[in-house]
Amino acid sequence: MKKFVFTMVIGATALTVGPAMSADQADQIMRGQYQAVLGDCAGCHNQPGGKPLAGGLPLETPFGTLVAPNITPDRTTGIGNWTETDFHNAMKTGIGHNGVRLYPAMPYPAYTRMNDRDISDLWAYLTTVEPVSNKVEANRLPFPLNIRLAMLGWNALNFTEEAFKPDPAKSAEWNRGAYIVQGPGHCGTCHTPKSFLGADKDSGFLQGASLQGWFAPDITGNAQSGLGKWSEGDLVRYLKTGVNAHSIASGPMAEAVENSTSKMTDPDLKAVAVYLKSLSPDPGNTQPAKPDEARMATGEAIYRDNCSACHGGDGDGAGELFPALAGNSIVAQGNTETLARVVLAGSQAVHTTHAPTTPAMPSLAWRLKDQEIADVLTYVRGSWGNNAPAVSSGDVAAVRKQLLP
Amino acid sequence: MSHRYPVRMNRRLFLSSVAMLTVTATSPSFARSLSGSLPWAPMASDPPMQVLPGGWQFFTPQEAALVEAIVDRIIPADDLSIGGKEAGCAVYIDRQLTGAFGTSSRLYTQGPFLPALPTQGYQGEANPAQRYRTGLAAIDSFLKQRDGKSFAELQPTEQDAFLTAMEAGKVELPNGVKSSGFFGLLLQNTMEGFFADPVYGGNKDMVSWRMLGFPGARYDYRDHVSKHNQPYPQPPVSIEGRPEWLRKGA
Repeated sequence: MKKFVFTMVIGATALTVGPAMSADQADQIMRGQYQAVLGDCAGCHNQPGGKPLAGGLPLETPFGTLVAPNITPDRTTGIGNWTETDFHNAMKTGIGHNGVRLYPAMPYPAYTRMNDRDISDLWAYLTTVEPVSNKVEANRLPFPLNIRLAMLGWNALNFTEEAFKPDPAKSAEWNRGAYIVQGPGHCGTCHTPKSFLGADKDSGFLQGASLQGWFAPDITGNAQSGLGKWSEGDLVRYLKTGVNAHSIASGPMAEAVENSTSKMTDPDLKAVAVYLKSLSPDPGNTQPAKPDEARMATGEAIYRDNCSACHGGDGDGAGELFPALAGNSIVAQGNTETLARVVLAGSQAVHTTHAPTTPAMPSLAWRLKDQEIADVLTYVRGSWGNNAPAVSSGDVAAVRKQLLP
Repeated sequence: MSHRYPVRMNRRLFLSSVAMLTVTATSPSFARSLSGSLPWAPMASDPPMQVLPGGWQFFTPQEAALVEAIVDRIIPADDLSIGGKEAGCAVYIDRQLTGAFGTSSRLYTQGPFLPALPTQGYQGEANPAQRYRTGLAAIDSFLKQRDGKSFAELQPTEQDAFLTAMEAGKVELPNGVKSSGFFGLLLQNTMEGFFADPVYGGNKDMVSWRMLGFPGARYDYRDHVSKHNQPYPQPPVSIEGRPEWLRKGA
């Protein structure tokens, strides 16, 4: 009798919630949820402490402020009135419900490479998310950029709708990695240099770019500034845990690791690693840096007194707790924004279930002047096999001004 | 032995303090649990303010002259180091007396004020700022009356004899100032000024650290622990830095 009542209750609940879900649908929703992980929807559309996908924090772009909108199925403030076709169009062409043009801060120039099945799965998942009433004023750009129709011109100049083209000469794993990196993972949105219109410069694909006060580093196979010294295993470990023997994720990448890459499957992470490791580096700068000797001597003294306790006398760090600076690709980027920022403001490692310690670097802005930071960075960039150009005090001053306006 | 304790621990006092401790330790606001990342904020720092020499913030000019003369006898200039005055010990004491130390603002300062054992330190009601004010005035008026001179006008040997007598408690200072207790305070603060980080106003150019070979504000010696019987190669560094790398301007 007890069992019968229980079954009745379950049945009644199912009836009130809606039509019973078929196994196929459930699978599709699960696949869609994974697409949301690959695409890191939460990275922009979740506000810390807010309801999932109900709208994000203001995104400071070089052109003005945009806020990622509410993409829960709420009919008035979310995308509850959208059709699946609307959603396909938004992802593939940047044109949403009622022909509204999206700004490319929504990475449709990458999502356009996603295949129809993945987009349908993602849509199936999004329709099951809890609808949240949260009105987001997404467009806070200045005139005339706030006219969405301007994106018509932008798209004509910078955007081509295209499907992902697999390379039949490469392995299935490589192609899976290429698909994730170029499509849903939209790695280039941060890591590819931008034109003055904010579009990806394809010639510099994944060679590093500046955004939100950080420099998203070169992730090609470059031995100095890229992932040339990382094994595939190193790369998988970094994406899964946020930390490996070479580096610790911080800043915007910490968020990407937390929301997205740490939740990807191991085969997908391996595929991403295989693909990234195959990207040939920019042969450009192979000239040995010749920093001024006096600055190197001063820089070394500053390093001994301020940095060596954690990063080691020879820049060899301490395992996965304090990153080695010798051979560290972040140290060798063409742009020193991240370096100056980390010394000035400090930095905390990402928290993942696999690496929960979150070691942090303290702020040194109170102790070191711009010139002193420039000297110590010049020393670090020119020591222990590192071979990157000197840093000027002006570079540091610009970052300090951003942090302490 | 119980007569040596000013407050006898009886049963009632013991039980009530245990009860108090239990209430405090089990109160729900006593601890909070954290999950995810440890609390952290960018640009966070709480460094001590660098004391800049010049002017007196607590001492009157007469008091300052007296303190400078005393610290220069406690640490006289010799072939080991500069003297306490040049090292900034009086500046250190002046700035400490205007802050939390001077006003005892971080200590329990209510009664009962009972006679203390020698091992218990000062147990009186006056805070260090008040003790300096009355103590220095007492020294001044005592010497004016006895010698017709101020401390600074005495010969070094006379100064040393006076300080030695103070330390031994053999000087009857006016206004109830205990000479040995006040000398102890002067000695303690002079040593602090001489050996503390220069950021606090004394230990000019890390003079005492250079004298001792103390490496200063460093906190990792992994590269050197196994190098037995070899001198540590790094010069001292203060919280502010060291001259080898401090740059002028912004």
